[in-house]
Amino acid sequence: MKRLQYLFLLLAAILFGACEKDNFDGPTAGLSGRLIDADTKELLQQDIVRGSTIEIVEHGYDPVRPQYLIVKNDGTYENSMLFENMYTVRPVRGNFVTPEPIDIRISGKTVQDFNVTPYLRIQDLNISKQGNLVVATFRLQQNVIGNVQKIGIYVDKDPRVGEPMRLGQKEQTLNAAADPNTVYRLEYNPDEFKAQMPLGKSYYFRVGALMSLTEAKPNYAPTVKLDI
Amino acid sequence: MLFSCQGILDIKPTDKIPAEVLFGDPEGVKIYMANLYYQLPIEDFAYFRAGFNQNGGDPNNGGFSAAMLTEEAMHTEFGDFFGDGDFQWWDQGYKLIRDVNLLIDAIPALDILEEEKSALTGESNFIKAFAYFALAKRYGGVPLIKATQKYEGSAEPLKVPRSTEKETWDYVLELCDVAATNLGTAKGRRANKYTALALKSRAALHAASLAKFGSRATVSGDAVTQKLVGLEASAAAGYYAACIQASQAIITDGAYSLFRPNPATPAEAAENYRLLFQNPNDAPDEVILIKGYNLPGANLGHNYDIWYQPAQVANGWPHPGRMNPTLEMVDLYESYAAPGQSAPVVTTVDGNVTDYGGYDPSKNYLRFDTPNEIFKDKDARLWGTAILPGTTWKGTNIVIQAGYVKPDGQAVIRIKDQITVGANTYYTYGAPSTTMYSGFDTYGGNNTRTGFSFKKFMNQNSPIVPGWNQSTTDWAEFRYAEVLLNFAEAVVESGTGDATAAAKALNDIRRRAGHTVNIPLTADNVQRERRVELAFENKRFWDLIRRREYHTVFNNRVMHTLLPLQDLRALPATKYIFVRVQVPNSNPRTFELKAYYRSIPGIGANGLVQNPQY
Repeated sequence: MKRLQYLFLLLAAILFGACEKDNFDGPTAGLSGRLIDADTKELLQQDIVRGSTIEIVEHGYDPVRPQYLIVKNDGTYENSMLFENMYTVRPVRGNFVTPEPIDIRISGKTVQDFNVTPYLRIQDLNISKQGNLVVATFRLQQNVIGNVQKIGIYVDKDPRVGEPMRLGQKEQTLNAAADPNTVYRLEYNPDEFKAQMPLGKSYYFRVGALMSLTEAKPNYAPTVKLDI
Repeated sequence: MLFSCQGILDIKPTDKIPAEVLFGDPEGVKIYMANLYYQLPIEDFAYFRAGFNQNGGDPNNGGFSAAMLTEEAMHTEFGDFFGDGDFQWWDQGYKLIRDVNLLIDAIPALDILEEEKSALTGESNFIKAFAYFALAKRYGGVPLIKATQKYEGSAEPLKVPRSTEKETWDYVLELCDVAATNLGTAKGRRANKYTALALKSRAALHAASLAKFGSRATVSGDAVTQKLVGLEASAAAGYYAACIQASQAIITDGAYSLFRPNPATPAEAAENYRLLFQNPNDAPDEVILIKGYNLPGANLGHNYDIWYQPAQVANGWPHPGRMNPTLEMVDLYESYAAPGQSAPVVTTVDGNVTDYGGYDPSKNYLRFDTPNEIFKDKDARLWGTAILPGTTWKGTNIVIQAGYVKPDGQAVIRIKDQITVGANTYYTYGAPSTTMYSGFDTYGGNNTRTGFSFKKFMNQNSPIVPGWNQSTTDWAEFRYAEVLLNFAEAVVESGTGDATAAAKALNDIRRRAGHTVNIPLTADNVQRERRVELAFENKRFWDLIRRREYHTVFNNRVMHTLLPLQDLRALPATKYIFVRVQVPNSNPRTFELKAYYRSIPGIGANGLVQNPQY
């Protein structure tokens, strides 16, 4: 009997023990930064879901699966749980001309900003309530060759509103290059969406425009809060 | 060493049959072949997100089918959409390809007649084509293992890089041609010449659509620059021509025709359509390949009846009613009064069908005598596909009611309630207890939340057996109607081929559904006809993929419900009104571009180029 107990003890020691070699250190480094409009020096507005991403490829592995960092609505990004190493970093699939990748060593709290050229700029924006409607007027400045697929005003209860995240919207298909002399006008009717967004409350409005380019994301003006 | 053992270590395993014995006997080949057919990636009653043949082990996946990722249906509870790991078929695909390559190696040495060898060659190539088609539509260009690989001490030579998507599709069509040339025309449960041609028709149309519509959704990455995904627009013409050629070969040979092509009434057409799927064996004229479910039991029967029949006929099974055809689907069906266009269900006097704002006492609703009078003139196939409120199924009146409007004009909707007016008591769900209705009560997730239940493929003849894998309805994988629709689409999208014959193909299918007016051959007419005729046959999913429509059709998309309400303001008359609303408790869903291709598993080991954005 005694021997059996020793056996069990030995077994337990083997099963529940662990080699020290297994215990790698956790990630210690982090990368953060901003997407900045190269001309206006303002932060470049983004989507919180299905928006622009920062692709980072860790060196020293082949094949290696790229990691993608999400950019917040205001154009900032951060991942504070990365392993210290050399990485190739590049913003991809965004609403801007994709910049050249850069190789950086991520250690500690590394900060890396990117100056990028947005596909489109939304200028002279005015969003106001006119009667029952919410009317947005704006101009478009186009910085790349191609067509603007659509423009739209997006509405949600959440301030992180955008094309992919909205309860209500009014879109207009353009499929044409932006005309710098045109004042674009969108009329949003809150009545159409009162099932999701009852009248008499305040909601977040954001105007966006999408280029018809591979994997392009919409460009935005800052969000406006309005009572309807 | 003075002694050595002789052969004592070369023991033959007693639980395995050596290849030469199995393939040396035609009967062994037959058994082997049966296994290959079982492995075929047929998207049938056992096809779910986790893959094929989900009718063994633990088949409990909530009954969440591929149709619920399209506009065809909603699940009673789940609001899921695409997951990266869904609908994968990689390891199993290459296992099947290896198995069939081994058979192809063995055929020349078999002691059988030449025509039997030819038939085996044809069948093997059909199976291989089917497998590569299933891979190509999921992953784009894939490694083409054209002959058996031999392991000679190192794994590296066995790693084959991906071919381009173009090469992969061309290989699929090439295999179909080899199969069609070698196969005979005898009908049965095994592939014949026409099965191979039907596969070619389907695959060529898929490839042609990818080429034509690829520019609607462009992505970037290594896989794109190396052409592992994506086809040039210029390839479309050749693939459409291949589809036309294969479809026409089936049509002109006349070996198949539509099942009961000339019904006298829409009611007869609806019943014919239902019968075609309740037992495809009764329609040998139309059905080109059947996958059989002969016996109840794990890996034999399937679970469509327990998951999808309405709650009232559950017969003790605790989880029925999961398939909820959407209002979008019901709207799509034409009215015999206005052929050639979909006929959205009109609920109000003003005819507004885009108002989903809910019940409003000030709105002027149309009143109906029964809960299904509103669908009166709709295409017979609606009646054969969905169980509509207040229709009879298995001798039971299926009660689907969302609430009532009280005599004072206030509505009670989707709340269990009752009201006594005069001598009668009325119930919101149309009946007092959960066993007596099939709609809108969230009890158990058993009642439809769209206002419609499911009929197509359901077995009406026998009560539900409340257990796993008890359904034995057979699945029609290829049927003549699909070939006609492929043909019509290829002609209209390519602008080539015999447009008169294509229009006839389209209108023949409509006549079988009780239509009497011919409609012109247009791209829209073909797509609507296809969605209606092939509804719930797991075709819509791939139509959205191949035509690159998924990301526009599903961009913040919500589905809709038709709420049948009893209008107690009309008492003593029994009257119903209907309200169009968003599906209760559902969220918008968006298709991401990357989901046009599935992610390739195991790239760390196999060294393949991953698909974009994974």
